[in-house]
Amino acid sequence: MLLQQIVNGLTQGSLYALVAIGFVIVFGTMNLVTFAHGEVYMLGAFVGYFVMSVWGLPWPLALALAMAAGWILGVLTEKLAFRPMRTVGHMPPLLITIGLSIIMKEAVMVTLGAENRPVPSIYEQTVQLGGAQISLLQIVILGIVVLLIVGLQLFIQGTKIGRAMRATAQDYEAACAMGVNADRVFNIAFALASLLGGAGGVLVGIYYNAVSATMGGMAGLKGFAACIFGGLTSIPGAILGALIIGVTENLTVQYLASGYRDIIGFLVMVVVLIVRPQGLLGSKMRVV
Amino acid sequence: MKSRIVWTLAAACVLVVACTSLGWTGEPISVGLSAPLTGNYSEYGTNWKKAMDIAVEKINAKGGIKGRPLQIVAEDSKSDPKDSAQIAQKFTSDPKIVATLGDFTSTACMAAQPIYDRAGLVQLSPTASHPEFAPKSQWSFGIIGTQAEEGAFMADYTVKRDGKKKVAVLYINNDWGIAAQQHYIKRAKEDGAEIVAVENYFDRDKDFTGVLTKLRGSKPDALYIATMYNDGALMSKQREKLGWADVAVFGPGSLYSPKLLELGGSSVEGLRTSSIFMITDPRPEVQEFIKAFKARNNGVDPNMFAAIAYDAITIMANTIEKAGTDRKAIRDELAKMQNFVGMTGKFGFTERRDVKRDYHYLVVKNGAWALLDR
Repeated sequence: MLLQQIVNGLTQGSLYALVAIGFVIVFGTMNLVTFAHGEVYMLGAFVGYFVMSVWGLPWPLALALAMAAGWILGVLTEKLAFRPMRTVGHMPPLLITIGLSIIMKEAVMVTLGAENRPVPSIYEQTVQLGGAQISLLQIVILGIVVLLIVGLQLFIQGTKIGRAMRATAQDYEAACAMGVNADRVFNIAFALASLLGGAGGVLVGIYYNAVSATMGGMAGLKGFAACIFGGLTSIPGAILGALIIGVTENLTVQYLASGYRDIIGFLVMVVVLIVRPQGLLGSKMRVV
Repeated sequence: MKSRIVWTLAAACVLVVACTSLGWTGEPISVGLSAPLTGNYSEYGTNWKKAMDIAVEKINAKGGIKGRPLQIVAEDSKSDPKDSAQIAQKFTSDPKIVATLGDFTSTACMAAQPIYDRAGLVQLSPTASHPEFAPKSQWSFGIIGTQAEEGAFMADYTVKRDGKKKVAVLYINNDWGIAAQQHYIKRAKEDGAEIVAVENYFDRDKDFTGVLTKLRGSKPDALYIATMYNDGALMSKQREKLGWADVAVFGPGSLYSPKLLELGGSSVEGLRTSSIFMITDPRPEVQEFIKAFKARNNGVDPNMFAAIAYDAITIMANTIEKAGTDRKAIRDELAKMQNFVGMTGKFGFTERRDVKRDYHYLVVKNGAWALLDR
């Protein structure tokens, strides 16, 4: 039973992690919290729904298209909504993200309706492991999340634009003085975050077999919490935070009552933040 | 000044022409509708609206109510208690509104209830099934039947009819879910079953693997899920994925929807519920409604919520026809309603202004809803 709950928690946590990393990238480079991230994730899930349920195509294509759609959405939002706002302080862009989240959610509701839509199951086989039932799907999802995170690290650590992102994150002005094109860096950072959000949406749609216009709200909140928990600007921290939140929630359900799930999850987060205000793996300096 | 007179005259002419061309001899009669048209419950609210529009068109095509067209003034509550209370303020202070329908959840209804009560305006909820809702105010009416009745019916179904002895319960933590769960458990215990576990979840939770794993640990032979069909389908899917098959799943009529089958697929096979509305009802008026509804709903069948919304507006129109447009007269006439036959069967108000229902035994069989013998 314990093992089963840990497996449940890790799968759930890995899905929170994809959302959390998006927050980290955006905050790390642009110093901006985006409340529209949950809705990007929802749009990704809908791309997955159309590809898999409506057109009947295989899931890797759904994942690829949702990531592409996330990328394009990210590029456009950054260009149209944030770039003109760069010099006016933190508040206007923050409010814009809230506005964007409402627009995206309501636009989907108005055009496609508010009901849940089905997504087909894949990899339903299960493996028995010491009393716990692990589905092949859970393993596949964990694998994809790991691959995406490794890919992201390679991009940030190994490419020129990745280096520019890290430089901008450490010191915006110095980076600009050294010839880093901040507009481009911000654009790519936001697009990357949205790409991961889109991927997360598809995986969640597959995992729960349903997508809906309102699915982004709670996911965004949990991802944001994991991001703060982990230290705001640390990718490994966000992943760790997300996994801890996922496992804590499931253990709370098992040993207390399901109603306490969010309370204990957030309580653990608050306690950790009191002890370590910079978060689990956060530091004073931004590292992306 | 002159141009204003000209405009007023022109507008008056247009109005007269418009009215005479439709054959109306009076102003429209306005009935307020407080419903979740957007937000988490918008699926149910828009279903209501579609069903009610069909009813209103039908009534107006037959000449309206005493020559006056019936019109619905819809306000979006999101089924949020603070919005439904605000809408109640708006409706009660608008003299054109003669009565109101709504809201969707018991919680939203009960938040608005004191306002309707103080102002003296009828609040007829198609779906509030909390047993304390209607008795609380002279102006409140519920037509879906209460959880006291339905919970008992489902408990008998589980324990007496299907012989289950160890029951686990999972319910949504809101006014409705709590009432549904309490009345079910009370009767199940009276019937001799053992309640081995009770758990709840909050609205908007989408992951039930944790709580299902826990419930499974108590080894029940039946699981009662007091929830709506969306969550019910998610739960069933996740239960299937956990490999938990040796349990019979029961739930109230809120699960009865084509959507449950679509979302749940093979995982809802064998799920048992009750309903007061059946797609297969052979009465011509029911089939006519189903046809009209499908035409507006991308070919998807109406669910129980749509059917009962249709009944609600029909009852209201009948009442206004008899009582006129005075708010108090409408209340008194409505309270007398007996033997109404609608999409959801035959019913009349009790002294508590709610109704006793005849439930059907339903089960999902080969991917479709099947009716069992009583």
